[in-house]
Amino acid sequence: MQAKQEIAPILLFNDECGVCRSIAHWVQKSLQPGTGEAGLKVRPIGEDPAELRSLNPRLDIWDAYGTIHLLMPDGSMRLGGVAVAEVLRRLPNTRWFSGIFGLTLFGFRPFQTVLNLAYAVLADIRPIFGCESCGTPSPWVRPLRWIVKTVSSIFGKGQPKIAGPHFTAFSPSIRAQQVNSTSSVRD
Amino acid sequence: MQRQDSNDRIQTVSADTFDESILRGVGPIVVEFMSYSCAHCRVLEPNIQRVAEMVGPEEKIFRVNIATDQELAGAYAIEGTPTLIMFLNGEVVGRDEGPGPSVSNILSVVRQPYGS
Repeated sequence: MQAKQEIAPILLFNDECGVCRSIAHWVQKSLQPGTGEAGLKVRPIGEDPAELRSLNPRLDIWDAYGTIHLLMPDGSMRLGGVAVAEVLRRLPNTRWFSGIFGLTLFGFRPFQTVLNLAYAVLADIRPIFGCESCGTPSPWVRPLRWIVKTVSSIFGKGQPKIAGPHFTAFSPSIRAQQVNSTSSVRD
Repeated sequence: MQRQDSNDRIQTVSADTFDESILRGVGPIVVEFMSYSCAHCRVLEPNIQRVAEMVGPEEKIFRVNIATDQELAGAYAIEGTPTLIMFLNGEVVGRDEGPGPSVSNILSVVRQPYGS
């Protein structure tokens, strides 16, 4: 299958995640009117694996939800912090400083490494800021999540948006059972 | 019915193909109600693929994407993902919500209602 010919890179974002939606909205707003489409296209990942593969045959929908993907017009893909650096390079407001991510010192890109780390941290702490589909937070995030939850309840702001209730957490026990009531649903 | 790719051992069924593939299916069938944006489903995916490989044609495993097939999710009262529903000759015989993602856990959930 051939990748669709796109003139601009495509930034895929998780539209089930509040943080990702906010960032995607900011990117879209930051694109210059009129020239934005040529610089970058922003679109949600969606739920159709075949449609994603039509953008790039090597693109797996599970991977797309796992980390940020920027699909380049030449068929390559940039992931994580590298994708973020490329996006910043293409935005008028951030282009001026984005060159530092390409800076090499003794064969090492220190600023790109910091950006990669920052991306990894942000991806991990998304459940604190409102990611409805990010699942169970990493162990190191759980104390922070507890603090945010506690502070929110003290100041009367109620529950923060943490891992939406429509996604089931893994339970260690197995409780396969006869569900006669469910079988009657389809009758 | 669609397949995700050649490595995908789990067939996707929709409301259009559910009757034919599941309710009129013969023998044990497991349906995973999931969505691609669900982090727990992502954790489960490689292991459920492994289970599908292990059980082979003995027990068919299908998936329903609740983001695109909300009608089916409603009909089977899906409150969270992933939810596994086990059918035997078209009848629901078992159900598990958010099973532990290990291969052995999934395998016992898949096989428990049939006593195999």
